[in-house]
Amino acid sequence: MGKHEIRLRRQRMSARGSDRYRNYNAVLKQHSNEKRFKQITRIFTFLLLIALVVIIFMAITRWEKKQSKPTSKVNNHLVVTGYSSWH
Amino acid sequence: MSEDEIRKEEQIIERSKKDPRAFGELYEKYFDRIFNYVLRQTDDEELAGDLCSQTFVNALHNINRYEFRGFPFSAWLYKIAGNEVNKHYRKNKGNKIFSIEELKVRELIEQGTDDWDEEMITRVLQYMNELPTDMIQVLELRFFEDKDFKEIAFILDITESGAKMRTYRALDKLRTNFNLKVKYDG
Repeated sequence: MGKHEIRLRRQRMSARGSDRYRNYNAVLKQHSNEKRFKQITRIFTFLLLIALVVIIFMAITRWEKKQSKPTSKVNNHLVVTGYSSWH
Repeated sequence: MSEDEIRKEEQIIERSKKDPRAFGELYEKYFDRIFNYVLRQTDDEELAGDLCSQTFVNALHNINRYEFRGFPFSAWLYKIAGNEVNKHYRKNKGNKIFSIEELKVRELIEQGTDDWDEEMITRVLQYMNELPTDMIQVLELRFFEDKDFKEIAFILDITESGAKMRTYRALDKLRTNFNLKVKYDG
């Protein structure tokens, strides 16, 4: 349901009136343009997704590397401490 | 529409799925009907031309998804056109317009009384203005586009009984309010 307005048209619609807007070539052109645009958008979105996955993967790898570094330092320290206690 | 015509359309649709140029035949066949349908709901030729083109572009985009469901192909086009018109009104937040030919109003109402004049037409239009929009949509498709209830239900995404109920209610009111004979078929 909604608001509407009823208008009365005295003259019957003629086929000639609509002929001005009949143009299948324009429809075909618009169709191919919009199809191409959709394809480009799809490809772009796909590439964007891949880039995002790569960025996330790289970030995780870096974070893992950072996490592993401090533990090795502690180990070295322990080794050194252990060595010094022999003397 | 005969079985043969439906089969012929099916063949054109199948060809259109591979080659959009084949769709031109259906475009030429249905352009006037869709244009007039949109024009009746906009009362603006330029706008009707744009929305009509967009209807056929959308039909071409989605032709691969089209499945025959016992309705002529035109029903699918009417559905897309209706969606385009609704989209336009939603976007522009305006009141929907129904531009009705005087001749069609006279056809709808079989003259039952002698005082059928300009005043009567104005009163009928006033009455139609007060009807809910969904009722007008059904009346339009039933009497101005000559669609059967099954097709109307498909086009407007409602049930067949819902389409019948809306039509009969509107026509009943018209008969009682104006003491007129109305074309009443189902």
